[in-house]
Order: sequence, then structure tokens, then C-alpha cells
Amino acid sequence: MAGAVLTPAPWRLITDTALWSENWPGVPRPARGEIRARFTTCALCPAGCAVRARCVGEQPVLLTGVSGGLCPFGLSAHHLPYHPARLRKGPVAEATAAVAGKAGQGIAVLDLNPGRTASWSYRRAMGAMKGAYLTPQAEPFAYDLSAARTVLSIGTPLLDGWGTPSKVNAARPNFRLIQAEAMESRTAMLAEQWIPIAPGSESAFAKSIPQLEAARELSLVLGEGPEIAEINQRIGAFGKTVFGRSEAVVPETWTREAAAVTAFADVPDHSIAVLLIDETPATSYIPWHRIEQKLVRDNPVVVTFAAHRGGYARHAQFALPTAMYPEVLDDVAPAADAIRPVFRLAAPLVATPTGVVSLAEFVGTLSGVPVANVLRERADAIHHAGQGTLHTYADRQRTAVKELTADAFWKGLNEGGEWTWEDAKPRAAVMNRAEVRPVEPVESPADLPLVAISEPHYAGLVSPLLTKLYQESNLLLAPNRIALHPKDARDAGVVDGGRAMLQTRLGKCAVEVTVDAAVPAGAVQVGSAPGIQDVCGHAARAKVVSV
Amino acid sequence: MKLRGPIVFLAGVLVALGAGWAGFPRLIYQTRRQPVDFSHQVHAEKAGAKCEDCHAYRADGSFAGVPALDKCSGCHTAAMGSTVAEKNFIDQYVTPQREPEWLVYARQPENVYFSHITHTKRGNLKCEQCHGNQGASNSLPPYQQDRISGYSRDIWGHAGRPAMTMDACVACHRQSHLEHSCLDCHK
Repeated sequence: MAGAVLTPAPWRLITDTALWSENWPGVPRPARGEIRARFTTCALCPAGCAVRARCVGEQPVLLTGVSGGLCPFGLSAHHLPYHPARLRKGPVAEATAAVAGKAGQGIAVLDLNPGRTASWSYRRAMGAMKGAYLTPQAEPFAYDLSAARTVLSIGTPLLDGWGTPSKVNAARPNFRLIQAEAMESRTAMLAEQWIPIAPGSESAFAKSIPQLEAARELSLVLGEGPEIAEINQRIGAFGKTVFGRSEAVVPETWTREAAAVTAFADVPDHSIAVLLIDETPATSYIPWHRIEQKLVRDNPVVVTFAAHRGGYARHAQFALPTAMYPEVLDDVAPAADAIRPVFRLAAPLVATPTGVVSLAEFVGTLSGVPVANVLRERADAIHHAGQGTLHTYADRQRTAVKELTADAFWKGLNEGGEWTWEDAKPRAAVMNRAEVRPVEPVESPADLPLVAISEPHYAGLVSPLLTKLYQESNLLLAPNRIALHPKDARDAGVVDGGRAMLQTRLGKCAVEVTVDAAVPAGAVQVGSAPGIQDVCGHAARAKVVSV
Repeated sequence: MKLRGPIVFLAGVLVALGAGWAGFPRLIYQTRRQPVDFSHQVHAEKAGAKCEDCHAYRADGSFAGVPALDKCSGCHTAAMGSTVAEKNFIDQYVTPQREPEWLVYARQPENVYFSHITHTKRGNLKCEQCHGNQGASNSLPPYQQDRISGYSRDIWGHAGRPAMTMDACVACHRQSHLEHSCLDCHK
């Protein structure tokens, strides 16, 4: 033994064993192969950022932006297909039978990411089945920041994920931003002026805008409340900075077949027997109690098409797995600042897994509406119209559609391309009637002393790398977390990093706690996890209980 | 009799030292032959080829590694010369269009990313600094494969050859006052 330790043998054996263990089954091994770049469009949100994917063989190993950056979600999107919480199989046959059996009693599709070509497939299928096509908002607006000089944002994360980053950044030097918000958010920090308002007082503040001295200077007001559209109309923003959201042209037959777009809030209570929910990729979340209110009392069927179990799959009878970016060919819905038509394809970077189901194909089969080739049909319709230009990311060229054949246009879109029609006249905004808000019962501040400030919704899966970012920094509030002022944390008997129960009149939810002096006293900042949103919306009263 | 114990101990130590230093290296490595008896020297001197003529960079800057058969076939459509090695190469690989399964001495572990172009273009490193005099050798050395780890003996460096282990990378970077993070190489 004494002699052996003076030789390389034991040390090499230790090293070699360590190296050998790197090649055990189950240990991830980087792909070998030719390194090349592929281009696509990020479909995680309507911003639709151009993506350059560094691929080894067929495997994407690095996603970066083209002429700009990507957000942390987009940078790590190639991890998502392998997420451990991924929904991989579901009872497709049973769901189909259940839906077919009850479809005649009132069927609806709830589209949480409207404006895509798939949305038209849902509308056509619902048109054929005499069903309803539901979206969170009936007529979304589009905002032109380039024409704005003074923007008042009431809690909108204008500089932090709202709209298309390139357009926002290009317009930013030319407008003055006033951010009215309870917390000094990232947008508030970058704004020319931050107006701290009481948590939950956004609606009251919005109603007071016409009386403000600065109201005459405003060219745009952004916010979530139903009164915002009316204020924009009063300050003359309609037709200048506020328009209807534009969509690329669709084949004429689609418009004839399609069911009307109905705002979810406008659906009569207890009228839906079968609800099909598309939550991949969802850009908003409707709390479950509001959905439940619209379902028939007698044994409704709810089928959610999701990539993971964290959303409506917790409540639905059937949760069917869907393919997600970057493993499926899909288009990206127009962003909030798309005043002119745009069409972008998220070309897949990895193969679509087996066992996944598409809601478009599901309703297409039920209704008999052909949906197999809809993206190509729409691209052909755009090409046939002969308007606009195709911007290809790979060579950074802009080519007029008129100069391309239909096949070349389709190929360009599939290789990372964006069609835009810069000369199109923006659509006039249609004034929505105010959304009906459920009557909130009287809540006692004594029982529920805190007011909720909610984080922007992000319902998709998040790379484990980002989970680590959440845990080790306070850059983003993790979806399952709440943040409290130190005084409120002391009063509730909770500590930083501890666990607690968030309680509202709708129920309670287990959360983790961050203690942060940036949160105003008397408020609780809540993460965007569907479980939290189910019980605690923005401005809801809440309390935190130590567990 | 008093010395018997120390003698046995000393003998044991010597046996272990001999086994560890002389026997173990022979045991741990298996020797494999390259598919083709290739001479870098002939290609460099007679054909005037430079390293990057065959070990080229792609248009995007990534390193193509050992050239594919197409590259060889460009000149070796028929036998060039009358050596046995040349005849075997033509008969076994060029004519049937079969890629030779080259054994790469410098192949790094799977968890390492190494950029050739960064080192040669930005760092101005010569090929020889890592690969030794491989480019001037008349024949390829036997490929000695570690029976446990599966990697080549050459990445450890021996007989005067430079090492290509993490320690060697770190030492060179420190010498050049370049400090980097783990994730620069370990993706």
C-alpha cells in the first residue's frame, strides 16, 4: 500500500473513474455534429423576438437574439421541451368521447393567446359547431408609441416585457414616461417620473386623470382598467396613438366560416357545457372561479390543452399535452404595439414529441373543418395580396412580397422571417363597452389587512436555470412567491425565505415569502403562479398567515 | 531475524512501485491503430499543405476537425505513389467511399467546449503549442486509449508532449493573465 500511493496508479484510477462516470447512462451528453445557425421567432410572448439558434447537428444549444437581446425566458427556451414538469401524455380518446357526447349542449373554446392562425381554426371550428370562441378581451387595442410624446402608464410594465422591445426602444427617446405605480418597478425606475400611488388605487387614480394639470399634455394612457379606453378617447388618443390591433390577411373563406370573437366576461353564467382551453402559450390567465361561473352546473366537461400541470390542468377533467415552442410550427400573435399587420412563424428547432395533441386538430376533427395546412394557406393569402415586405433574419434582407414566389415566401418565413406591411393604414380602434366586473363583496381591512400587487402573468414553463435565478436573486419575483414589507412580515410572523399561507376571501394558497423593503407597507406583492391568481387578483385584499 | 520485517516491507514497496510505475501504464491503456498510416510530413513537405488546409474552419468560425474523405479524395482520386499505405487507403476508403474512423488524440471530454478559432486567431497560439510536433511526424503514433475513462493518453501529455487537461488550460490562461469562469468551457 505504501508503495502504491507513491505511484500514479491510485490517483489515475480515481480520475479515470470520475471521467468514466461522466458517460454513465442518464448523464446528459452534448450533441456532436456540425455547428450551424438556424433562425426562428420566439413564440413565448407576442413580442416575437427574432432568434438565432446555434445548433450542434439538429440540437439547439444556444439561443440569442438577432440585432438585439432576448429576455431570460427566451434565452433558455430550448430547455423547455425537457422540463421535468412537462405534460407528456393524456387521455385523448376519453376526452374526445366526453366532448363529442356533450358538444351539442354548448361548446366553447377559450383562447388565451388570440390573434394566431390557430385562433382562426378555433373560430372556424366553433362556427361549424355553433359554439363560442372566447378570448380574455374582445377587441384588443394597439398602441403607437412612436407617435406619443407624453405617456402615462398606470402599472403597465412598458419597459419590461410590454410590446415589441425593438419598437419600444426605438420610440423611447421621443416620449416622456410617467409611471404611476405602487412599487418602484423596473419601468418606474426608468421612467422620467414615478408617481407612487396607494396599492389597489389604480382605478381611482385613472378616474382622476382628466382633472390632472398634466392631462392636456398626455398623448397616451396605458393601464389595465376598463376606464382606460374612455380616458384615451377623451384625450384624443384614438386615431393618433391608439388603434385597433391589426392582423395579417386570412383566406376569405375563413372569415365567412368563423364564429364571432366574444369576450369571456360577456358569456352568460352557467351556459357552457364543454369548454376547451388553449393555454399554450397563454398570455393571460382567468382565475378558475370566473371560469367555473360560466360552466353549466350539471357535470360540465373542461379539457385543457397545456404543456404542464400547473395551470387549468389542476381543475379540468382532462388535461391533454400539447407541443410548445420551440418544437412546433406556429405563428406569433401581434403584440400590443402592432398597429400594422405582421406575420411571423416560430419554426421548430427540435422534433415534435410523440403523444402531444393540438387543440386546432382536435376541434378540426370534431367539426370537420380542415386545419392541417392553415399556416401555409394564410401565407399564400398574404402572398396573393402582394403587399408588404419579408424581412429575413439570416441575411438581414428586406424583400418586397411582389418579388417573391409563393414557395420562396413560405420558405423565407420558415427560415426565420417576418412579414410586415409598413404602408398599411392602421385600423381604427373600436371602443369596447366596459367589461363587467364581478361584484366584490365588502371586505374588512381588519380581517384582510394587505392589498395585493400582482406581477405580470407568465404561465408558461420556466427553465430550471431561471428557477435558480429566481431563488438566488430578487430580480424577478418567483411565481410561487409573495413579497412583504419587513413590518408586515413581522406582524404576520413570517421570515425571508420561509413558507406561509396567502389568504383571501376566495381561498388560500401556500407560498414562499420574500421580505423586501421596496414593497409598500400594507401591500403584498404576489407572484404570477396560477394557484396564486386563482385566489388573489390585483388589488384584492389578503392576509399572510405563518405556517 | 530482526531485519525480516523491514525487508519484507521494503520488498513490498518496491514491487508496488514497479507495478505502479511500469506495469500500471501498460495495463490501463489499450493500443489501437489508426485506420490509415498517414504521414503529416509528406503532406507538409511534398504537397506543401499547411495545417489549416485540411483542419479547416467553417464559414461560421467553428472548427471542422479531422477532414472528411471528400477532402482527401480531392487529390487521392487514384493512388499517388506506390506505398502499401496509399494502396490500402485507396482500396479500403476512397474507392468504396467509406469514411476512415480516425481516432482523435485530442478529443476532449463531452462536458467541455473548446473554441479553436479563439485560441489561434485571438490568442495567436500555434498548433504545436497544444498538439506538439504532430504536423511534422512521418507516421501517426499508436492511439492509446484509457480502458476506464475511454479517453486518449495524449490529452494527459507524456514523453514531452504538451498536456490538454483542464490543469494545463488553467495554467496557460493564468500565465497569459486570462481568468475565466467555469461556464466558458463547461457548457
